[in-house]
This record gives sequence, C-alpha cells and structure tokens, in this order.
Amino acid sequence: MRSVSGSEPSGGIVAYFPPLGQLARLSFPSPAQQRRAEPPPMAEEGKGGYSEHDDRVGSAGGGGGFAGRRRKGRGPFRGKMYSEGNHRSWSRGVAGPSPSGQLEESDGDVLMSDAHDSLRTRYAPYGSRLNRRGDDWHSRGRGGATNIHVTVKRDLTPQDRSDSASRSSSSRRRWYKVTIPYGKKYDKSWLLSSLQNLSSVPFTPVEFHYDQSRAYFYIEDMATANALKQLSRKITDRDNYKVVLIVNHSSPPQSVQKELKPEEIEQLKLTMSKRYDGSQQALDLKSLRTDPDLVAQNIDVVLNRRNCMQAVLQIIEENIPELLSLNLTSNKLYQLDDLAELAQKATNLKILNLTRNELKSECELDKVKGLKLEELWLDGNPLCNNFRDQSSYVSSIRLRFPKLLRLDGHELPPPIVFDVETPTTLPPCKGSYFGSDDLKVLVLRFLQQYYSVYDSGDRQGLLDAYHDGACCSLSIPFLSQNPSRSILSEYFKGSRNVKRLKDPTLRFKLLKHTRLNVVAFLNELPKTQHDVNSFVVDVCAQTNTLLCFAVHGVFKEVDGKSRDMVRGFTRMFIAVPAGITGLCIVNDQLFVRKANTEEIRKAFVMPAPTPSSSPVPTLSAEQQEMLQAFAMQSGMNVEWSQKCLQDNDWDYSQAAQVFTQLKVSQCLHLTHPRGLGSLRILHQRGGGEKPGACSFPRQQPQCLEIEGGMGPGATLDASTPLYPNKNLLSRGCLPPRAWLLHSLLQGTL
Amino acid sequence: MAASVNFKTYVDQTCRAAEEFVNIYYETMDKRRRVLARLYLDKATLIWNGNAVSGQEALKEFFEMLPSSEFQVNMLDCQPVHEQATQSQTTVLVVTCGKVKFDGNKQRYFTQNFLLTAQATPTSTVWKIASDCFRFQDWAS
Repeated sequence: MRSVSGSEPSGGIVAYFPPLGQLARLSFPSPAQQRRAEPPPMAEEGKGGYSEHDDRVGSAGGGGGFAGRRRKGRGPFRGKMYSEGNHRSWSRGVAGPSPSGQLEESDGDVLMSDAHDSLRTRYAPYGSRLNRRGDDWHSRGRGGATNIHVTVKRDLTPQDRSDSASRSSSSRRRWYKVTIPYGKKYDKSWLLSSLQNLSSVPFTPVEFHYDQSRAYFYIEDMATANALKQLSRKITDRDNYKVVLIVNHSSPPQSVQKELKPEEIEQLKLTMSKRYDGSQQALDLKSLRTDPDLVAQNIDVVLNRRNCMQAVLQIIEENIPELLSLNLTSNKLYQLDDLAELAQKATNLKILNLTRNELKSECELDKVKGLKLEELWLDGNPLCNNFRDQSSYVSSIRLRFPKLLRLDGHELPPPIVFDVETPTTLPPCKGSYFGSDDLKVLVLRFLQQYYSVYDSGDRQGLLDAYHDGACCSLSIPFLSQNPSRSILSEYFKGSRNVKRLKDPTLRFKLLKHTRLNVVAFLNELPKTQHDVNSFVVDVCAQTNTLLCFAVHGVFKEVDGKSRDMVRGFTRMFIAVPAGITGLCIVNDQLFVRKANTEEIRKAFVMPAPTPSSSPVPTLSAEQQEMLQAFAMQSGMNVEWSQKCLQDNDWDYSQAAQVFTQLKVSQCLHLTHPRGLGSLRILHQRGGGEKPGACSFPRQQPQCLEIEGGMGPGATLDASTPLYPNKNLLSRGCLPPRAWLLHSLLQGTL
Repeated sequence: MAASVNFKTYVDQTCRAAEEFVNIYYETMDKRRRVLARLYLDKATLIWNGNAVSGQEALKEFFEMLPSSEFQVNMLDCQPVHEQATQSQTTVLVVTCGKVKFDGNKQRYFTQNFLLTAQATPTSTVWKIASDCFRFQDWAS
C-alpha cells in the first residue's frame, strides 16, 4: 500500500506536492507498480485529488466502467472543485472549525487572498510560492500544470525542507487542514490509524471532527502535509471505495492558537503537583486529559497539542527541574517534537514512560535523544511492531539511549561502557564556607565593621583597615558594547582586566598600591549600601600569617545617576593578623558586575510582614546601621534582629547580651544553611497553609534546623514566610514565631 | 623610586604569571582534566560553591566526578600578595570571571580566584595553586 501506485502520473505531482524523493517514483513508476495499479482509467484521476467524490459517483466496484464518469469529473466539474475546495479550506481555516457551519456559505475569495498576504509577509520565500500557486489556480486554472510542476520542484529543495524542519518548534509552523469527503462514514480511529500506518511520517491529527458528510482534521508542517497528500486514494474502505484526502493550507486551528489561560495553567500546575511524588521525584501524567480535576474544571489538556505540552514542560522547568521520572502513559502522543525540550528542562530525567501512545517510528525517539535515560517504556506503541525480534528492538532503542538499563520493565544486558563516561551532575551549591566558627566570627565582625564604614558615605575611615603596602584593584566583566553606555560605566575607567589590558604601564597604574592610594581610590567609587543579608563568604585560605576570603553579594548605589541600581560583587580580601582579633588588609580585589534578576528580586528585601507582625516603623539611619550590624553578628534575619533591638530599646549591647545568653545557655541554637545573615523562616514542609498553594515537596529542602528545647530538630522549608503553625505547636516541635521570639527575648525557652 | 620600579617589575611578572596560568588552567580543566590536580599544591584547598576539597587525592577525585566543561574566561585580574602574608614566598592572587558550560547543565557565569605560589626547587621554579575558590554567580538559584 505504501508504494505509490502507477495510476498517478504527472498529474499527481501537481496535485499532491510530493517530497522530492518521491517525485521520481511518481513520475516514473516501475512496470511492477503499473501492473499492480488500480484500473487503468484511473490514470487520470491524479488531478482528481481535489475532486471530492468521484469514487462515489459511480457504482461500487472498480473496472473500466468508471472511466466515463471519471473523465467527466475531471472536466469542468473539476475546476469547480479546485476553487471550492480552496475557498472552503481558507475560509474555514481562518474562522476556525465550527462543526455546524455550512461549508457552502463561505465566500473564500477575499479570505484566500488575505491569507496569502499574511503568509507572504510572515515568510517571504514561502509566500511567493503560495502566491504563484494561487495565481495559477485562479487565473490559469488547470492549464498551468507545467508551471506548477516546476514550482513544486523548486519549492521542495532540501534547503526548504530542512527549513521547515528547523522551524518545527517555532510558532511559525504552518498548518494544513485535511478534508475527507464522505469521511462521516468512517470511524475516527479506523481512519486515523489507517492513515498513520501508511504515512511516511507520523502525524498528530488536531481537532478531528465531522461536519455534514465530511471529516476534518488539522496537521502541522509541510512535510506532514506532503506525506498525507500522498495518501489520498491509498486506503480502500470496506465498500471498496478509496478514501480521498484533500490537504490545504490553513491557519492554525483554534485549540492550538489559543494558549492556556493563566488560571488554566494554575489548575494544571495544581494537578501536576498532586501527581508529583517528591520522594521519588516522579511525575505521573498518565491519561492527563481524563484527570478528574481538569475535567471538572472543563480544562482540556491534550498532551499531543503543542500548547499543552509546552505548558507542562514550562511547569516542570520552573517547579521540578530535579525530575527523575516522567510518566506519559496513554496520552495519544503521535510524535515527540514537543517533548524535544525536555532534555533541557529536566536534565536529571532518568525514567520515561511512553506506554500506550501512538508512536509509530523509533525515529521519534531521536527527538528526545538528549535525555540520559536509564529506563524507558514503549509498550503499546505501534513502533514496537517494527522489529523482527526483541534484540533488534533493544539495539535500536539502545542506539538512542546508550545508557539504558531497563526497557519496558525488562533488565537489559549491561550497557557496553568504557570508562570514558562523563558525569553530568554537579555537586550541590552550598552557602558560606568559613572553615571554623572562630573564623566565622572573625570574618563577620570584620565585614560588618568594614562595610559600615564603606557604606557610610566617607571611606576615609577605611585607612585603618589597610596595610601600608596594601594593593587594591577593581574589575568588571568585559563589555562588548560601548563602555559609556554600559550600566557599569562608572566602574569602567578603573577596571583592570588583564585579559584585555595589555599595556604594562596601564596595568601598573590601575593596581592601587599603598594604603593612601587604595583608600583614595575606594573613596572615588560610587557611594553604596551593601545588603548584608546577601553576603556569602568563602574562606579560601588560612595560615598563621594570612587569611584569604571571598565575599559575594549585592549592593546598591545610593547616589548619582545609578541611584538604587543593584549590582552584584565578589570581593577578595587577603588580610594579615593585627592586634588580638583584628585583621589588616594587604590585598583587596573588587569585582563588580550586573546583578541577575534573582539577586535584584531578593536584594534588600526585608522579610515579608507576617500576620503576627506589627507594622514596621521606619528606622533612623543609626537604627538601620545598628540593625544590620546586629543581624550580621547574631546570624538572625533583619526582622528578628529588629524585634530584638526594639524590645531592648535599641540598646545594642543589651540586645546582644540577651541573644548571647540564650545561645550560651544552649536553649536555642540556630543554624542557617547559608551560615551567614538571614534566618529565613519559612513554613513547614508541604506548605499546606496557604489554601490552594501548590508546592513541590523537595527531597532535600534547604532547611533550617532549630535544635535544643524544641523537640527533635524541627525542620522548616526555606524561603517562605513563617506562619504560626498549630500542628507543629501542638506536637511540640516548633513554636510559632511570635512565641519563639518572645521566649527568645524573655529567656524562657 | 627604586622600590617603585621594582614593584612595577613585580607587578609585570605577576601579570605574566597570571596570564600564563589562566591559559594553562582552563585548558587543562577542559581538555586534560586528569592532570589538573597536578597544578595544585599537595595541601591545596578548593572551595567549590561552598564545598571544601583539600589535598591532591581529594581534588583528583573531585575533578573526576565533575562533568566535562567548556570554560570561557572574560576577565582576569591579579595582584602580588603582600610578603607579610606569605612569609616572603612569592604569591599571586588571580581573579577570573567568565562563562562555563558543564556537560548536561546550562551555561552559567562564574567567578573564581586562586592563590598561586612559586615553588622553587634547586633546578627550577614551578608555580602551584595553593588555594582555589569557585562560585557560580547564580549559585543560589
């Protein structure tokens, strides 16, 4: 059935736009094909591809008797069918399918030219072809066969086809509408599976529906359209009729055009979070369309539609990028184009279940080859029948996924691995590294002092912090654009990027040497305010004579044209011991860069007010400074620090004393994974407190442990505001924040 | 004046050592990872996004498990480390930033800094990494 029948000489080429590869076969059918061909009179019926019902005009059964009728169909009648078919398709396409619409009512001429215009402006080379073809159809009717032939050949250069393939993921993909005259007679699944079986490329029929006697569906991209055009009259139904397919351009069908609405996406997210098993990092999207929640909300999530699959992938990317296992069983997936991005969105994915889908060819798997799968399920896909035996099946799948350990639940022979395999998992990123508590105290105290002067508006006070022979330099990332237009322009002239700067004199000049020069240089830099909560410190090296540490964080400028601009920085300090506990800087390297969006979002964010907290009074500059210092020294977040200071009437030493006493008495030992700065609290794992909130429980939450006096190490989720939690309280695990704070301050914990 | 000239020469040498080092380091990191640990002192420490790794053997192991990489360094700065801090052992602070793509991961920006020391043997002088501190700029996300 797949071979092209000899009954379609050149006429077929005109009508069906076959891919170039098939052109030859079409034009020069082999004798064998000719012998197998259907009754000779049908030789002319290629053009009749657009004729909707000639098979039915005659009586059932093939034979020479058809010839007359067919010829007639080819005549004036056919001209009508050409234009009719097109008008319908365009007008219907533009308007979208409306099952009750009357085809004959549509007036296609205007719409058709409109559509051509719009297509032309979208993609010029394509548009001109359409235009040409349109001209042929309109002005020359069927007389233009030769021209069209040439056009077709030109259009189907490999370049063009690869273009269409590369566009496949973009929104510019073209849509085609497939019309099956008298399709009403056929059962949808019979029709579609017959077509899928014959089609040289797998396709996803969209919005299959019947309208009057016809059946319709939409398909995407030219290659598919060409493949389907080949299938007209290739399927014979029970009554020995040949099923005719008419394939025309169309605007995207409605269901695809429309993106999921935000509330639909929200519901989808909720549904997905319900179907996500955090302990296994497994997402089960089996028969997603029939999910009771989605159905109840009347949300149609059909994963073989690109918009739906994209929404799902987006949610995965944003919420559960750590996904290990994804189950897509029974989702009527005909192809995996829309899944291609999965490898980027869920880089850890190891298990993919595609059981009971409609994948016809193992080549579909090439689209997700980037996944480092260990387990794959393909049971119940047509492609499983493409292999003569299990071993060829396995080796074909292994070809795509060399690290596969299990296929359809069967253990595979161990993969052939030479020890060149490279890992892809990075060690988890952690917060500050101090090496020891003593160093932590030392460095934090130093930083607190240093930045309180640095941000004070006058940096002269830093003279005491530097060694006589100190060095200091500043650098910014290489700017590809005009430096004066960069948002880092104020730093450009002092920037010492040895990678770009080759002149030894300039290199020397930009390295500030000796204490006075260093402080004078720092004093010239824009006025700043650093966010101590953002600080992450790495103590890189420590000897008896040296302490080397890096500070990463954000600051904002408080003056000048970049006022309130948030910037990221990394600063290296090398210090020598001075006095009993002090440090004296000998090397200082400041790297300033643009802050990323996440940093900007988090910068200077006081913890969100919680139901229990009173309105935050505005603080004086002095209080602000005290607050930052206290937050830094105590390791508590700004809000807690503020409460503590407030309760002690802004008496720094008294507040510090209260806090220290508590710490010393082991009543309360607070540690934060980031070690420094904010104690961000956080509601309980699972986050069920905000109604309707959805969360993806993580296997390893960034957690905060509160030990001692509060029951077995209560664990909190990071980054969400703390609400008093009755459950935890009643279990004695965790007091609500207000109580905790109160106890902290009263020393009654 | 003489001291200043000497310091200038010193700075110049520092820059050359840093440039040379950066070329070799990232080339080795990307293409000859197995010998990367040799660039480190026996007792060198690496702080990699807050993870501390100390000693040649541990470093070797760490680098082996790190996915293959493509580094692109956009910025390099360096300073001679003050002798009081180093007990007169010639030491250079090297700071870099750029982009890195680890296999199976998206490309990210990083900053990294090193302390390099010149290890003099009777016959030659070999530079080694005494400390290495690496962080993604977006490490928290």
